[in-house]
Amino acid sequence: MKTRIFILMFFCVLAISAQNKKTPPSMVGLTCKNCHTSAVPTKDKPAVKPCPRDNMVSVDQPAGKGPEVVTIDKLKNQTNVYSPVVFAHRLHAEMSGMSGGCKTCHHYNPQGQVIGCSECHEANRKREDVSKPDLNGAYHRQCMDCHRALNGKTSCVQCHQLNISGHQPDTQNPAMSIGKKVHPVIVAPTSLKFDTPQAPGKLVTFHHEEHVKLFKLECQNCHSNENCIKCHAENKIESIKTRTTEQRHAVCSNCHNTKENCGSCHADKPKTGFDHKEYTGFDLTRFHSKVTCNRCHVEKGNFGLLKKECANCHGVWTQDNFPHKKTGVVLDEIHSTLGCTDCHQEKDYSKPACTSCHDDKSYPKNIPGKLTGKTLSKN
Amino acid sequence: MANQSRRDFLKTAALAGAAVTGLSSKVKAGPKNILSENRMGALIDTTVCIGCRKCEWACKTAHAMETQSIETYDDRSVFKNSRRPTDKALTVVNEYPNDISENFPIDVKVQCMHCDHPACVSACIVGAFSKQENGSVVWDGDKCIGCRYCMVACPFQIPAFEFDKALKPDIKKCDFCNERTTKGKLPACTEICPVEAITYGTREDLVKAAHQKIKLYPNRYIDRVLGEYEVGGTSWMYLSSKEFEKLDFPKLGKDPAPGVSETIQHGIFAYFVPPVALYALLGGVMWINKNKKKHDSGAEGE
Repeated sequence: MKTRIFILMFFCVLAISAQNKKTPPSMVGLTCKNCHTSAVPTKDKPAVKPCPRDNMVSVDQPAGKGPEVVTIDKLKNQTNVYSPVVFAHRLHAEMSGMSGGCKTCHHYNPQGQVIGCSECHEANRKREDVSKPDLNGAYHRQCMDCHRALNGKTSCVQCHQLNISGHQPDTQNPAMSIGKKVHPVIVAPTSLKFDTPQAPGKLVTFHHEEHVKLFKLECQNCHSNENCIKCHAENKIESIKTRTTEQRHAVCSNCHNTKENCGSCHADKPKTGFDHKEYTGFDLTRFHSKVTCNRCHVEKGNFGLLKKECANCHGVWTQDNFPHKKTGVVLDEIHSTLGCTDCHQEKDYSKPACTSCHDDKSYPKNIPGKLTGKTLSKN
Repeated sequence: MANQSRRDFLKTAALAGAAVTGLSSKVKAGPKNILSENRMGALIDTTVCIGCRKCEWACKTAHAMETQSIETYDDRSVFKNSRRPTDKALTVVNEYPNDISENFPIDVKVQCMHCDHPACVSACIVGAFSKQENGSVVWDGDKCIGCRYCMVACPFQIPAFEFDKALKPDIKKCDFCNERTTKGKLPACTEICPVEAITYGTREDLVKAAHQKIKLYPNRYIDRVLGEYEVGGTSWMYLSSKEFEKLDFPKLGKDPAPGVSETIQHGIFAYFVPPVALYALLGGVMWINKNKKKHDSGAEGE
C-alpha cells in the first residue's frame, strides 16, 4: 500500500513540475494577484477579484482576424418576442480601431483566444452571483452605450426583428443589411492644420505621425473615449462650434500645458515637426538617435530636468570609462592623460577649450590627436 | 385662590398626560412581521436603465391587464410628463435629465418598494395586506373592505384604487409577481429587462453587490443605496448617479413608517388612557364649577 502511495505521489510531483515548465501564453506577465484576492487560490475558493481589475492585460488584434458576422443566438430559447441579432462584428471591430480597440467590448481580453461574453456572463438571469450582469444584460449594455450616444434611440427593432406572428419583416431596417457593409479603413494623417480664432497664432499644425512614431503614443492615448459619434453624430458641426476653449484643448492638455506657452503650438505660419536640436539645442542625431524619449526623460511630463548635462544620464566620465575614439578623435599621448573636464569645461562636453593650456591653439583648427575619419558633430 | 387652583389642575393634568404618553411610547408595532433571512429583493440600477419601458409592457401582460402592442412602448414622448403607478399601470418609468451627459438621461422605474416594515400592512384594519416570506408585500382582495387607509399610509404613495369601478373595485399595486416567483419564475419586469437594470436576488446579496458597485465605480454612483435603510429597509432598492430626492423620491427617515403611526395610536390607547383622561377632564370641569359656585355664593354672603 505504502509503495503505491509513493508511486502516486511521484507521479503527482512529475505532473506538477511538467505544468510549471510551460506557462500558457495567456498567463505571460501575470501573477495570481492580478486576478485573485488570495495569494493561494484554490479550485473551491478561487477568490476571483470582481471585474474590472486594476491590471488587465489587453491585446489588440486586427479587425480582419475576427469573424465577419456573428449571430447572437445564445439566448434564443429564453426569448420569443425578438429574433436573434445578426451582429456585424467586422464592421464594429474596424470602427473600434480608433477608440478602445478590442477591449471596448471584450473588456477582459488577455493574450490568446479572444474571450466572448458568455464565458463570464451567465445565461441564466436567476443565479447565485449577482455581482456582474447576466448574459442578456451584458450584451445589451455593450451595445446600448454607443447606440444611445449615437442617436438616443433605444427601440429594440433597431437591431432585432420582431418575432410576433403577422409582423412583416422590415427590409428597410439598416440592421438587416448592415452585416454586408464594411467600414472604410481609417487612414492616419501625417499632419493636420487647424484654423483657430486665436490672434496672433491662427494656425496650429499638428504632426500626427510624429506623435505616433517619434513619441510612440498609442491610438488610445488620445482617442480614448471615442466611439461612433466622434464622426457620425447627427449634430456634429454644431457640437464642434459650441465647444469651450477647455474642451477644444482637452486632448492636447493631457500632455501639454495648454494654459501657458500658446506659441508652442499656435503660429501664423505652419510649424515644422519637432526637432530636438532646434527646441533644446541638444542634437540627438549622432549618438542618441535610437534612444526612446523616456530613457533619458525619466520623470513623466517633466522634460526640462536634464539641462544638456551628460552626467545626468551617464554619470561622471573619466579617461578610463569613456572611449574617446567614439567621438571621431583618437587623443594623442599627452592629451589622453588629461582629465575630461580639463578641455571640456561645459557640462554638455561640447566644444573643447584649448586656451587653459595653449595660447596659440584653438579647436577645430588644431586637433588634440588623430581623426578617425568620421566627421565630428558640432556638439 | 380659585383661579390658582384651576391653573394647578391644568398643569397637573398636562403632566400626567405627558407621562402616560411617554411611558407607552415603547409599545411595539402591532401586526407581526415575518422577515425571512432569505427574502428576495430587486436592485434597480438607474445608471443602466435605458428607458425602453419593456418592463411596463411585461408587467401588464403578466397581470392580464389591458395593454397596447410591445412596439408602442418604444415611444419616448411619454417621458415629457412625470407619471405615477396607477390602477392601470403597476409600474412606470420616468426620465430625468443627466447634468453630466445629456445623451444619457436618467430613467427611473417606479413601483411598490415592498418595505420590510410595510405601512400598508400596519394601516390595514382587516389584514388584507401581508409581507410574504419571499419579500413581497401582497394584497388579498377577499379581505379588503375598500377603506383605502393603505393609500394614505404608504410613504411612497403606491397603492392605487379602481375609482372607475362601481362594483368591487380593487386596490392595485405591484405584487413582486408573487404568483410567478412562487412557481420559480422571475418577476415579469426583471425577466424582460434587456440591460438587466433590475437585478433579482436575495436582499442580502443585493445590498452587498450594490456597495461593491459603488466602491468599484465611485464616479458613476452616489454613495447611497436607496432602500437599504429608508423606512426600515425595503426589498426593492436603487442605485443612482444623482441625489434620489432630485429623482422625485420622497425624503424619508430610517425609522419604519408604521413605527410612527403605531406608536401614537397604541400609545394613546394603552392603559385605558383615553377613557381615563376623558373622565378625569369631565371630573375636573365639574370640580371647578362646583368650587366656582361655592366661591360665588360665599362672596354674595359677605
